[in-house]
Amino acid sequence: MASMVNLTINDKEVQAPEGMTILEAAKREGIFIPTLCHHEALEPEGTCRLCIVEISGAIRHSIRISCIQQVKEGLIVETDTERIKKNRRLILELLLGRSPYSKELLDLASKCGVMTSRFLTGESDDCVRCGRCVRVCRDKIGVQALCWVNRGYERKITTDFERLSEYCIGCGACAQVCPTGAIKIEDRGNERKIYTWGQVLARFKLEKCKECGRPYAPKKYLDRINERAYKTKGLELVNYVCPECVKKAERPTPVKMPFGGGDMPFAI
Amino acid sequence: MDVAAIDAIVSKFPEIKGNLIGILHEVQNHFHYLPEEELRYLSKKTDIPITQIYSIVNFYNRFSLKPKGKNEICVCLGTACHVKGAEKVMNALEENLHIQKGQSTEDMNFSLEEVRCIGACSLAPAVVINEETYGLVTPNKIPLLLSKHKDG
Repeated sequence: MASMVNLTINDKEVQAPEGMTILEAAKREGIFIPTLCHHEALEPEGTCRLCIVEISGAIRHSIRISCIQQVKEGLIVETDTERIKKNRRLILELLLGRSPYSKELLDLASKCGVMTSRFLTGESDDCVRCGRCVRVCRDKIGVQALCWVNRGYERKITTDFERLSEYCIGCGACAQVCPTGAIKIEDRGNERKIYTWGQVLARFKLEKCKECGRPYAPKKYLDRINERAYKTKGLELVNYVCPECVKKAERPTPVKMPFGGGDMPFAI
Repeated sequence: MDVAAIDAIVSKFPEIKGNLIGILHEVQNHFHYLPEEELRYLSKKTDIPITQIYSIVNFYNRFSLKPKGKNEICVCLGTACHVKGAEKVMNALEENLHIQKGQSTEDMNFSLEEVRCIGACSLAPAVVINEETYGLVTPNKIPLLLSKHKDG
């Protein structure tokens, strides 16, 4: 077990295992630190800057981002000082400059007392450039269908050569982790579409479930599951059944007893 | 698609992963830009995802996805050159080549780019043509400069 370190968060004595980030330690103590780019399943990247905290004690007095800064013996952390609030409001205003209609961002802004932004650009792009989608596609799915392009203000997320991706498997993890819902996944009829502001990233034909006949997943995605989950165990995915039918099959169906004894709760 | 050229370039490098930018430089020097098909082939050959290559190509100004002329003209518009009248040099080049900055001539002989400070401030205004630096350029020296490189 990792050795524990003692630190103070908002005047509260806290113990946390070495290597833990301040954000995680604060969360464990029930202290709220706003963040957009942090996701438990992903490696932190520190892009949104919202999780700033004021640090002193073991480290030179400074403002750091808590999703990357690790706990240290004797650290004094303040998450809600005037200085932090002021800086956080500025960051929120900057984020709102490009995404003034993002519901998640507006919620966070009103929580932190930001009513309007001085940096409105006239654009409305819900993407806050946190890079969660790029990270999940690269590190967890292992496909790397998404990438960053350009620099500075023009930086954005897209596919290779900004066309429909050949590599995307249509799993929808990017849409799942997006903090502002800028990447969307849509199943209509037997087609799945993954798209962002102004660009369709990928399109798929959905395979039909063998039980109920409802289109439910793209072939590439099923192939990937086959490859990663079944083949490694020497198995093969044979019954292409949608999750709902799987759930139904797992649920015991009542069986009529032959001698009028009422329904049995499960199949014999 | 020029597979042989890519193969030759890649074989020059003992290690691929850390040398991607070096490889891309060589590819750019060979084709004068980075053609999509060749980049896709490079990605397959080196096992580096095409998205990663695309990211890098987009990040650096030096790389171009659009075809560039044989002779690449870079006009320095850094502070010193700007003060010394680089704008006039740029205008003269645009007039002589009948193109705007960032474009290439129709015969693909020249392409015109603006750059920020090439570290030759004492020679301001400076112009770089194919890695050769020309200092103290004036608008009336432009035709001579261009004729030097016409067939190069």
